[in-house]
Amino acid sequence: MIAATGNIALQKTTSYKAVLPFYIYAAISFFFACVLLLTSTDVFNQHYFNPKTLALTHTLALGWGTMIILGASHQLVPVLVEGKLYSNVLAYISFLCAGIGIPLLVYGFYTFNMGWPAQTGGIAINMGVLFYIVNLTMSMQKSKSRNVPAVFILTATTWLLLTTLFGLTLVYNFNYPILKNASPGYLALHAHMGIVGWFLLLVLGVASRLIPLFLISKYTNNKLLWLVFACINMGLLGFISNEIFGESKLILPIFMILVFSGILLFILYCFNAYKQRIRRKIDEQMKVSLLSVFMMLLPIISIIDMLTFSLLNNAKNNIVLLYGFCIFFGWLTAIIFGMTFKTLPFIVWNKVYHKRASAGKTPSPKDLFNENIFRWMTILYLIGFVLFAPGLVILSGILLKTGAACLLLSSLLYCLNVYIVIMHKPKIV
Amino acid sequence: MIENIMNVITNNNLQCILALNNLTSVYDPEIGLNVVDLGLIYKIEFFDEEKIIKVDMTLTTQFCPMGESIVGDVTKMMNETFKDYSVQVNLVFEPPWNHKRISEEGKEFLNS
Repeated sequence: MIAATGNIALQKTTSYKAVLPFYIYAAISFFFACVLLLTSTDVFNQHYFNPKTLALTHTLALGWGTMIILGASHQLVPVLVEGKLYSNVLAYISFLCAGIGIPLLVYGFYTFNMGWPAQTGGIAINMGVLFYIVNLTMSMQKSKSRNVPAVFILTATTWLLLTTLFGLTLVYNFNYPILKNASPGYLALHAHMGIVGWFLLLVLGVASRLIPLFLISKYTNNKLLWLVFACINMGLLGFISNEIFGESKLILPIFMILVFSGILLFILYCFNAYKQRIRRKIDEQMKVSLLSVFMMLLPIISIIDMLTFSLLNNAKNNIVLLYGFCIFFGWLTAIIFGMTFKTLPFIVWNKVYHKRASAGKTPSPKDLFNENIFRWMTILYLIGFVLFAPGLVILSGILLKTGAACLLLSSLLYCLNVYIVIMHKPKIV
Repeated sequence: MIENIMNVITNNNLQCILALNNLTSVYDPEIGLNVVDLGLIYKIEFFDEEKIIKVDMTLTTQFCPMGESIVGDVTKMMNETFKDYSVQVNLVFEPPWNHKRISEEGKEFLNS
């Protein structure tokens, strides 16, 4: 390679060694979650607070969603905050802590042992999150740029820490009465801090930068993004205050409307970015990512149902499960599917080809994964989702099993494609 | 491409045109468009006495994961084209890149 002079070294991005373990871990977790889904369909007609559902939810929320977001954000934070990642070592430590903690916690839930496995797991996860937040904050402090996506990410990470700290308190609360009520009574609070505070804010923050960037869109609207930010945070803070101090079902819709307005405004932002794009041809990964933006509407529909039932004092357990399913297997999985094959090939491409600039024409990042496998993965995923969701509503065993089987096959194809990308060997054309 | 060439040329017009012409074979791997039509090249200056070429270029975003590779390709192409010169590539982010820098040909390519 011929070295360039000048200030190029300042632009060095995060080491792939700090990022790839998160992607591999997340892919295995997703496969494991789909196995759990297929083998646990019998529990979906029971109350949602049961060992298998808790194990499945935490495998998805932490092993799948959080691990891949942590991995991708170590790579994307430099792009978003326009500054270098503070430390690759902190990223490794963060991975190790969370990577050890998650299976312990999930094992604790699965066997309903809230003793040492869940407690140690919870502590390790919190340490992982803490190291991540230190890394992120230091990276942002070193960067001169202060932009909306960076604020979204920092706020989301703060919510993540609050969620995991509160989660750990709930685990301890099973054995030592720390809180006023029993842990299941705080489930809605814990879940929404994670879903809205962490996942929603983080995904919206990253997507607000990446969607226009990948589409090469002329559209920018920071005011709209600030409004989205305000709506979601006000809605969440209101919901939390109400859960802690008030518990009035009548004002609950106000907070929900605030969060939904934020989501709808973000959909409007994405729609405008799409309309004003310069790059007309949209690749498959972007199509799936854009689909996930619309999938954000599904949990809204199910929560409206849930609220209606709740106001009628007849809360439907399976609608609660549908709400969770739409979030984790719907919106979150769809965006991860799309963005994995938009970001992972870049990381591997850089690892394999960045020192081969002088060696001849190289394949482009999109050539690193198998498009046919990606297409079948998407088809199976959509079939699985479309079968499983109504299966939850009418509690049909056959629909649940068939849907879960399709999702499992889809997860296998996802893992296979991740393997293909990671094992890519250099090809010089 | 012509408007991008006119903006970039500073001195030694013929050499600049040759440089830009050859740089059209350096691509942004994600977008699939060459760096000239994408508007990433801001300035090329030839210092004939010192035998130095200074290239000011940008990236579509700061800390672009492809940045190192694109800059490496530009440096390599310049070194190969002007073997007697020492090439200095500087990354600049003022003014930041935006879609207006894409040439008409580039826009046509992205539209297709």
